[in-house]
Amino acid sequence: MSVSRRTVVAGAVGLAAAAGALAYEGWRLFGRHYPPTPYDDLLTLLSDRAAARQLGAAFISEHPNFNAATAARALRQHIGKQPLQSALAAEIARSQVTEAGHWVLPQTLVGLCALAAKA
Amino acid sequence: MDFIDARQVPSGTQLAPDLAIVGGGAAGITLALALAHTPIQMLLLESGGLDFDAKTQALYSGVETGVRYIPLDVTRLRYLGGCTNHWGGWSRPLDKIDFETRDWLPYSGWPFPREELEPYFPRAQSLIEAGPFLYDTLAHGELPGALLPLGPGGVYNSFFQFSQWRGNPQHLPTAFGHRYTDDLKRIPNLKLMLNANVTGLQLAHDVRWVDRLDVATLSGNKFTVRPRHIVVACGGIENARLLLASNDVIAAGVGNQNDLVGRFFADHAIPRDTATLVVFGGEIAGFYKAAENARGAHFRATLSPTETFRRTRQLTGALITVEQHIELDETGKAAVATTSAALGVDASNAHAYSLGVGLELAPDPERRVTLTNERDALGLPRLKLNMTISDDDFARYRVTLIELARQLLAAKSGMLRLDRQTRAEWLSAMEWGNHHLGTTRMHDDPKQGVVDANSQVHGLANLFIAGSSVFPTYGASNPTLNLVALTLRLADHLKGVFR
Repeated sequence: MSVSRRTVVAGAVGLAAAAGALAYEGWRLFGRHYPPTPYDDLLTLLSDRAAARQLGAAFISEHPNFNAATAARALRQHIGKQPLQSALAAEIARSQVTEAGHWVLPQTLVGLCALAAKA
Repeated sequence: MDFIDARQVPSGTQLAPDLAIVGGGAAGITLALALAHTPIQMLLLESGGLDFDAKTQALYSGVETGVRYIPLDVTRLRYLGGCTNHWGGWSRPLDKIDFETRDWLPYSGWPFPREELEPYFPRAQSLIEAGPFLYDTLAHGELPGALLPLGPGGVYNSFFQFSQWRGNPQHLPTAFGHRYTDDLKRIPNLKLMLNANVTGLQLAHDVRWVDRLDVATLSGNKFTVRPRHIVVACGGIENARLLLASNDVIAAGVGNQNDLVGRFFADHAIPRDTATLVVFGGEIAGFYKAAENARGAHFRATLSPTETFRRTRQLTGALITVEQHIELDETGKAAVATTSAALGVDASNAHAYSLGVGLELAPDPERRVTLTNERDALGLPRLKLNMTISDDDFARYRVTLIELARQLLAAKSGMLRLDRQTRAEWLSAMEWGNHHLGTTRMHDDPKQGVVDANSQVHGLANLFIAGSSVFPTYGASNPTLNLVALTLRLADHLKGVFR
């Protein structure tokens, strides 16, 4: 029995769609969810928000006057449209580092972590 | 000739060598070896014998105030070979900047640059048996592992080499007394006397000359030595004690007309667990954690501030060591996960280590030894050490650590946590190097130094001092190699004096 090329392609697309739907449904049901925040555009830059929250909490405990709205404005302005990695590399080169939980880190990364902790 | 036991020398004896060397540690033995086969008739007076003796060691007991330090009868050893009987063999030449006068570091600077010592390093390296003189050039050759990648900046991969007693199956560091016993016995112009304690430097009436040395043994013998010239080489603490205690003619002590003898004591602070280093890409090379071999050298890698960084950021020396493998806490794991992801690097095989350091202290005139009213078994006043370390010493090191952290991030090779914040935290982790420095500091100006650039005590025509007590600024490098080189330079000077 021969199978036409069109059938194979249609089948593959169908399988991929099913897998995608399943993955989405799985993420929707079991994945980590965070309520919307005014800083979601920034928090999406963090790949592991739970870890970032933990580090951010350490920073906030050392800087209780941290203001999320002010920090978010500054971060948006600072990062602009460049990729996060580029922004961090430039900061590191300019010695713009600070401490969070006594870890020495780029200021922008610490700011994002602190926002994650505040969100 | 065989060594002489001072306990067999009749009381009242007078000896008259050309040169008396007081002390048989690294400096005293180096000087005797360097002046072998010259016309200079030498007498080396060593307080101890060939091995440890508790009664002799007890002569070192003293009291301490200020920051906790090692007891004075523990931090040194009083028998032939001195502190080389318990040293770890860590060797490294001082950096050029260590010799420079720096406006931002009060009391800093030697009366000559490092170039003055460089001709003496090869022989010094040979005497301490640390292999070929490679040190930081090791970075440019083949190594048994990869150097820690660092981005451009103020910290670099630096290197110690280790003394290894050739022919010793345990590869211990070279203990000068045992290692050079046979060589010393073969020197025709040397008499070496054991159990001979110099208890006083007696000045001539014109106070421009040391007329004689008073010598005593614990068995009660007393005799005198009237040398043409004297080199005091009793170690970084005892040199000052002997000068201060020789106060029959001048109440302040010999060479102490400007109240400098005993001041500016220093050691290398060695606080543990100063920082946590995370290496993203797996285990750090073994030669950071322990000594390994390459190109004929037994070496260990460290991390140090560059001379340029020290100048621009006004920092003292630091040699950062990788100590133990450690487990990160939850915040640490979160920091690694967040940072590595943000930098776009894989940290799934990251390893963490604690960092120690050998830290140079800024010169401090109040960190000093003084005489007490209590006397030892020979009647010499015991010492009091006032130990200090300032918050600025810690703050300067933190600048170096932050720069190291920045360079790790720049190279995407790792990251760093600062593990000591308060003074109490620093002091709780404090250990010391047993390196006794600075108490008879060198300076061209008698108002700023006890000895001149030739190690001659200001104002005294025949008295010299050898050893790390003359170091006016200390660097972070361990002192033995450097004091041996300096002693070889003194030997050359003395050859001219006797010519």
